[in-house]
Amino acid sequence: MLTASGTFGYGLEFGDFVDLSRLGGVIVKGISLRPRPGNPPPRLAETPSGLLNAIGLENVGVEKFLTDKLPPLLKRGAVVLVNILGESVEEYGELARILSAEAGIAALEINISCPNVKEGGMAFGTDAAAAARVVAEVRKNTSLPLITKLSPNVTSIAEIARAVVEAGTDIVSCINTVSAMAVDPFSRRPKLANIIGGLSGPAVKPIALRCVYEVVRAVSCPVIGIGGIRTALDALEFLVVGACAVQVGTANFVRPTAALEILDGIERFLRTQGLRAVTDYIGTLDTQCRFPFAEEACPV
Amino acid sequence: MPRVLEKAKILETQREAEGIHRLVLYAPRIVPTARPGQFVMIRVASEGSDPLLSRPFSFHRLHKDDGLFEILLRVVGTGTRILSQRPPGSTLDVVGPLGRGFTPPSGPGETVALVAGGIGIAPLWALLDELTAKTHKNHRDQLYVFYGARTRTELVPLSPLKRLGVSLVVSTDDGSAGEQATVVEALARRHETGMVPLDRLYACGSLPMQVSLARWASGRGILVEMSLESMMACGIGACLGCALPAVDPEDPQAERYVHVCTDGPVFDPGRIRWDKIQPVMARPLTSASPSGL
Ligand SMILES: Cc1cc2nc3c(=O)[nH]c(=O)nc-3n(C[C@H](O)[C@H](O)[C@H](O)COP(=O)(O)OP(=O)(O)OC[C@H]3O[C@@H](n4cnc5c(N)ncnc54)[C@H](O)[C@@H]3O)c2cc1C
Ligand SMILES: Cc1cc2nc3c(=O)[nH]c(=O)nc-3n(C[C@H](O)[C@H](O)[C@H](O)COP(=O)(O)O)c2cc1C
Ligand code: FES
Repeated sequence: MLTASGTFGYGLEFGDFVDLSRLGGVIVKGISLRPRPGNPPPRLAETPSGLLNAIGLENVGVEKFLTDKLPPLLKRGAVVLVNILGESVEEYGELARILSAEAGIAALEINISCPNVKEGGMAFGTDAAAAARVVAEVRKNTSLPLITKLSPNVTSIAEIARAVVEAGTDIVSCINTVSAMAVDPFSRRPKLANIIGGLSGPAVKPIALRCVYEVVRAVSCPVIGIGGIRTALDALEFLVVGACAVQVGTANFVRPTAALEILDGIERFLRTQGLRAVTDYIGTLDTQCRFPFAEEACPV
Repeated sequence: MPRVLEKAKILETQREAEGIHRLVLYAPRIVPTARPGQFVMIRVASEGSDPLLSRPFSFHRLHKDDGLFEILLRVVGTGTRILSQRPPGSTLDVVGPLGRGFTPPSGPGETVALVAGGIGIAPLWALLDELTAKTHKNHRDQLYVFYGARTRTELVPLSPLKRLGVSLVVSTDDGSAGEQATVVEALARRHETGMVPLDRLYACGSLPMQVSLARWASGRGILVEMSLESMMACGIGACLGCALPAVDPEDPQAERYVHVCTDGPVFDPGRIRWDKIQPVMARPLTSASPSGL
C-alpha cells in the first residue's frame, strides 16, 4: 500500500492523521531539479466522481526536498519513494544521480507524463522511444529500485510498458491522470486556467483497471495499480487483475485516513476469504465471465 | 495544534436568511484548539463518491465549553444544497481545525472594523465573539461592524449583532435595508469624513468586494486581514490546488503563489497579486445564471 505522488504532499501533511510507518511507502510530490511555482489558478475542478487538476508540478525542488522534507519524513519511520520529473532526458539523469547519493530513499518513481520541453513539449510518456531514453538515462545514474509511471493518454500502453522494461525499469506503475477538460456553459470558459488538466478519482478507475490488465499481460515485472481507488474493494479489483501493489491518490484528499483504512479492509477481506497471503489473491482473475456477476454477499 | 478527522453530529439546523442556513455541530476534538478565521473541510456525500470532495467552511461561532461549533452556509451548488438539507441527529465527516486564523488586535486601544459582504459574515462573527469577550470587552464602541448584502432577505437576523453593543452599519445594494451602498462604500464614507478612525480591519466577502477593499485600504496605514477563498481539494496543504498569485517581496516580477489552506485563509491583501486574479476570477460568476440547469 503506497500513497500516490502529488496526493500526499511530502507526507508530513498527513502526520496528524496517519501513522506513516504503517504505509508500504510514501511517494512524495514530483520533484524537479529546480523549484517550480506551478500553474495559475484555478487549478482544480470537480467532475462527477472525479477531480480535474492542473497543478503544474509545483514543488520545492530537489535541494530543499533533501534538506527540509526528507529528514523529518524518515524520522517518522516512513518508507520514502521519490517521484521525479524533468524537462529533458538529462534532467532526469541528474535528479537520479543527486537522489541516489542520499541515504534513506527506498526507490525512485519516474513520472514520464511531463512535457519534453526540448523536443516540442510532447509528453515523454506518449512515445515509446522517448520514454525508453528517459528510463535508460535514470538507470545509468542510480542503483535504486526503479519504478516507471505510465500515462494512460496513449494508443497502446502495453507498447510503452514493454519499452520501459527493456530500458531497465524494475517496476511499472499505472496510471497517471487522464487528460481531460471541464467547461462552464454559462460563462463559456474552461474551469481550469490551464484549460486542460488531468482527471483522477473514482471516475478513472475503469480506465486504470483496463490499463493494468493490459500491462500485466505485456511485461513480466511487477506492476503497481493506481487510479480511483477509494475502498478496499477497489484495491482488490486491481490485485485480482494482477497488480502486486496499489497506490491510493485522490481518496487521501477526501479522507486523510483513507490509505490505512483501505489496507485494513484488504486484510479483513483476505481473512474472511480464508487466504493466508495477498499473493494467493494477486493475479487470480478468471477471464471466464459468468452470469450472474455477484454470487456472494459483499464480505468487506 | 493537531488537526483531526471527526464524525461530528448535527445538533440543530436553522434557516437564517434567503439561501443561508446555520448548522450547529458537536465536535469535541476539533473545537478546543479552533480559532476564529480557521476552517473545516466537511464531506458532503454520506455514501458513494459523488460529490467527491469535501467542502471548506469557516467557523461561524465557537462554543468551546460545549464542544460545539456552528457554520453558516450559503447554498450555491450541489454540495451546499445537500448539507443544508441534512437533518439534525445525522453525522458529518469533518477535518479541522485548518489554516491560519485572524491575528487578534494588540489591545483595547485599537479601533477595529469588521467588514462583511454577504456570507462573509460567517467567519467574522466568531472573531467578534472573541473581541467582545476579550480585548474589547469594555470598549465595544471601538468595534465597528459593516455588514452588507445584495438585498434585505439575504441578511441574517441582526438582533444578536445589535445586542453585542458594537457599532453596526448595515447596507444593501438595492437599499432594501440600511443604506443603499456596498459595504466598502459605507466604510469609505465614514472613514474619509473622519467619523470612523481605524487601526485595524478584518474582512470577508465576495471577490469583487475583496478587490475593491484591498484597493481602498492600500496605503492608508490600516492593518488589514482578509479571509480569502480558492477551490480546495484537501484543505491540509497536500494537493497544492488552492493557490492564489502572490507578491514576491524579493522579485516583484517572479511567478509566486500562496496556498489558501495553509498560508491562509486569512491574508494581508498586500500579499496577493489582485491584478492576476481579476481577469480569471473577478468576472461575473455563474451564480447570476438561471438555476436548475
Ligand atoms: C476557507 C474557505 C472558507 C469558506 N467558508 C464558507 C462559509 O463559512 N460559508 C459558506 O457558505 N461558504 C464558505 N466557503 C465557500 C464554500 O466552500 C463553497 O461555496 C462550497 O464549496 C460550494 O460547494 P457546492 O458543491 O455547493 O458548489 P459547486 O456546485 O461545487 O460550485 C459552486 C461554486 O462554489 C465554488 N466551489 C466549489 N467547490 C469549492 C471548494 N471546494 N472550495 C472553494 N470553492 C468551491 C465553485 O468555484 C463555484 O463557484 C468557504 C470557502 C473557503 C475556501
Ligand atoms: C492534485 C494531484 C497532483 C498530482 N501530482 C502528481 C505528480 O506530481 N507526479 C505524478 O507522477 N503523479 C501525480 N498525480 C497523479 C496521481 O499520483 C495518480 O496517478 C492519479 O491521481 C490517479 O490516481 P487516483 O485516482 O487514486 O488519484 C497527481 C494527481 C493529483 C490529483
Ligand atoms: S486545498 Fe489542497 S493544498 Fe490547499
